[in-house]
Amino acid sequence: MSRRPSVPHAVLTTPQVNCLGALLLAVQLPQALYIPAWTAAFGLLLVVVRLVIERRPSAERDRLLRRVPSYGLALVALATTFLLRQDFGYFFGRDPCVAFLFILVGIKFIEARSPRDGTLLVCLASFLMVTPFFYSQSLLAAVATLPGLLLLAASLQLLAPPAGIAGRQIRWRDPLRRSARLLIEGIPLALLLFVLFPRLSAPLWGLPSDLAARSGLSNSMRPGMISELSLSDAVAFRVDFLGPVPPPQQRYWRGPVLTRFDGTEWTGTRRRSAGRYVAANGASTVNYTVTLEPHYKTSLFALDLPAGSPKATDQAQEGAGADLATLTPDQQLIARNLVSQPLRYEQASFIRSSYPPAALGVQLRAERSDALDLPPGSPRSRAFAAGLRAAYPDDAALAAAILAWFHEQPFFYTLAPPLLEDDSTDRFLFESRRGFCEHYAGAFVVLLRAAGIPARVVTGYQGGEINPNGGYLIVRQSDAHAWAEALIGDEWRRFDPTAAVAPSRIELGLGGALPAEDRVPLLARLNEGWFKGMQLAWDALNHDWRRHVIGFNFVQQQSLWHYWQIDRWAAWQMVLAGSLLTAAWAAGLLLWFALRHHQRDDRAATLWNRLCKRLARAGMPREPHEGPLAYAARAAARWPGLVAAFAVIGESYAALRYSPLGTAIELHAERARMLERLDHAIAVLPTPRALRESAGS
Amino acid sequence: MASLLTASRPAAWLTRWRQALWRTKPADLTSVILRHRRIYILPTRRGMAFLATVMMMVITSLNYSLSLGFGVAFLLLGFAASALLHTFRNLAGIAVRPLAAGETFAGGTLPFVVSLTGGAGIRRGFRLATADGPSPQFDLPEGNALTVTLQRAATTRGLLALGRATLYSDYPVGLWRAWAYVHFPLEGVVYPAPEPSPPPLPAGRDGHDTLPSMGSDDTDLAGLRDYRPGDSPHRVAWKSVARGAGWYTKQFEGAGGGGPITLDWSDVPAEMSYEARIGRIAAWVLAAERLARPFSLRLPERTLASGQGRDHRRAALTLLALLPRSGSA
Repeated sequence: MSRRPSVPHAVLTTPQVNCLGALLLAVQLPQALYIPAWTAAFGLLLVVVRLVIERRPSAERDRLLRRVPSYGLALVALATTFLLRQDFGYFFGRDPCVAFLFILVGIKFIEARSPRDGTLLVCLASFLMVTPFFYSQSLLAAVATLPGLLLLAASLQLLAPPAGIAGRQIRWRDPLRRSARLLIEGIPLALLLFVLFPRLSAPLWGLPSDLAARSGLSNSMRPGMISELSLSDAVAFRVDFLGPVPPPQQRYWRGPVLTRFDGTEWTGTRRRSAGRYVAANGASTVNYTVTLEPHYKTSLFALDLPAGSPKATDQAQEGAGADLATLTPDQQLIARNLVSQPLRYEQASFIRSSYPPAALGVQLRAERSDALDLPPGSPRSRAFAAGLRAAYPDDAALAAAILAWFHEQPFFYTLAPPLLEDDSTDRFLFESRRGFCEHYAGAFVVLLRAAGIPARVVTGYQGGEINPNGGYLIVRQSDAHAWAEALIGDEWRRFDPTAAVAPSRIELGLGGALPAEDRVPLLARLNEGWFKGMQLAWDALNHDWRRHVIGFNFVQQQSLWHYWQIDRWAAWQMVLAGSLLTAAWAAGLLLWFALRHHQRDDRAATLWNRLCKRLARAGMPREPHEGPLAYAARAAARWPGLVAAFAVIGESYAALRYSPLGTAIELHAERARMLERLDHAIAVLPTPRALRESAGS
Repeated sequence: MASLLTASRPAAWLTRWRQALWRTKPADLTSVILRHRRIYILPTRRGMAFLATVMMMVITSLNYSLSLGFGVAFLLLGFAASALLHTFRNLAGIAVRPLAAGETFAGGTLPFVVSLTGGAGIRRGFRLATADGPSPQFDLPEGNALTVTLQRAATTRGLLALGRATLYSDYPVGLWRAWAYVHFPLEGVVYPAPEPSPPPLPAGRDGHDTLPSMGSDDTDLAGLRDYRPGDSPHRVAWKSVARGAGWYTKQFEGAGGGGPITLDWSDVPAEMSYEARIGRIAAWVLAAERLARPFSLRLPERTLASGQGRDHRRAALTLLALLPRSGSA
């Protein structure tokens, strides 16, 4: 059927424009949070302007719309492109393109005239429904798309109005209700596709680089970086422990290990070699599962020290599959790929605060020399270290002396340390003495190295909060921490200089350790109370959501298929199964339509039966021989106060039931009107009891 | 030669298939109930654009592994699929019945009447298309039959078949179009176009030579009868139409004077073209009928006995309409 309905110049009607406008706003609002403020404001403004114009009388509206030339809008689009290029520094990337699409729908809406434009808008809008998920796939983000879905379906219906409705005033309720119905009926199919549609283990094309600049622990450390991170309530990862949860002071989540120091910034070693997992050596083993939020880096976090390689939970049963990550000699886990989607892995750790170096011979010597390397400068620190060296020949005693010094001298633990410029170590140790964990860890390592003891900085997270609702641990960005390791007596030993300054940081978390005037994330400070409780419940919900919905990726799909034992099926078998299930869905739905139709009796008859029942309870049952008019007349005689209502009831039911009315379309409208009258007239009748009483009087 | 002929004829199974798929022959003799075997469904342009968008959403979600992106895309696909079922159901079960074919003169439009019954539930947003284009959109009321008149342009005299008609609807969301072909053997007669200003009727053969002047309507109005498609517009009681009282046709009593006449092919000048001669005789038939004069026809190889009235007029015009294409006489 290539023939199109012969409507030469169809114009979008006001209800169509309004519905499209509502659709655009509904899909724009969830997106507006993630694009630059000016683009959000501009895009929304364009849509609102068109809606306001639509409210004007038609002559004025046409004049206004004609005044907008299409080349003008093209110019606006071009200017937008340019501004986005200025704002982002590039245009052909994901984020600028999303922002451009956001504005483009507004521009297109301004110039939309025909139903074809409407179709284009619907398509653009449906794509715009997906884009917020680039930035957040939370439960809220999912809920926020529901109005858009409904309005999308309603817009499609309004763009293709059936004849009987076209002329009449369109009520919003009908298309919305029908949309909801169509969407709900489609849910089983959507679920089927969700489970069976094959996912990819690697992206089709490269992920744009702008993903990397996300918050999270980075692979380097400079003063101020961790304290900045500490202001964020965002969840870094969640942990489900198999056994009891270790106490807070044992919860050091090992992340990037930083050996190289250039005077201000700490970075990881450049040596690439494989490490060995250490042996238990009597330490207790902890088994747990980490659900890591995507941080677009490769570091995986494990309790100090990882006992074995992490296993993606869902491949665990299979036993096969490539290793998720490798271990470096300094005992950090590096994932093979960027963590760009929530990652769940099983991990075992030994709770040890010291371990033997993994490397031997040449490698060990390289590791030692790397851990002793100090940039020139920091004369006061070097002198101080030399003094300590003279006083404490024993390495362990020297380290303990530094910690004691931190503890005794007026060092302060604060989120807002003064900004130290040149030679920050000296100035921190001997002048400001105010710092956050990265300052203490960094200065501690510098002092040890100056005293000839190999040492390095370890970053990661410390502590975490147990969610009573889910029985799991939440580790937030605000738990980011830095500590130190020193090679003393053939063992790397963990030292936490922050603990020497503010022991409560380790026991109680950030909120307990900082002075009250410091800015702390709300959730780190509030310990008790319903707010925190609600927050935790919400987080538990989100955790499940993450685990089962967002986290449903290639790996999870494979494991589900494995569980159902359909993972060995060939592609054609999968397609066949999918088709059969789809056919079953269609058949079920058609059957349901048919059944529903049988159940739905004539509405007029239903109303009439209801009336007869009511009057029977009021003491006046209908005689079998009585027609509607006679019965209504008898009722009117009995309740003179309701003459008008009974007259309407009798007449409209008789008309609905027996009289042929006009031509078909008129008939439909007339029927609907009469049904409404009948319904209304029955609705205004008093209750049977009131009727009985009034009849008596 | 014979073998060539059979070779060029499609195989029997092919014909059967073509009939089953495209309804090329007018084989729907009575009422047709539209069932799944007759109903076709394909996406409209809007539907294709929508499905393409959903595909793009899926690909994007695949690349960025956006589970919620999949969720939205699949919900929309589910929506489209359930819309497909609704579009199908809207068409399924409708009974289409051929009612009547009208009559007209060449150059006019020939009406065909079919009736549609939707059964339970309102069926929405239909059009019926013939080779000449679609009808206006209509809904089918619950439980009642709807008669739809299809107009086909009648260009030349002869028989005009309704041909294959297509009933289609995009309801409810315009993403899918469901359609079904019905091919009724309905044929209407297209009368030859009468000559616009013909010369007076030929003289009667039986001595009644008085010819009343052509234009004047000096006959008496005998009464009104129901309008039937094809009645001359001159005889429609326009006053009653304008009052909204319905369509009636004026009937006249033949006080027109003059006895029976014979409209003879040979009375028409032979130098006129074949079709022009037919047109003149047609004009005479109308004139004789208006004057209520009994007439008979004498055409090449065909004759019509003398008579008068509506049926006689129709018989005469039909005879003219069905004359062979090119004059052999």
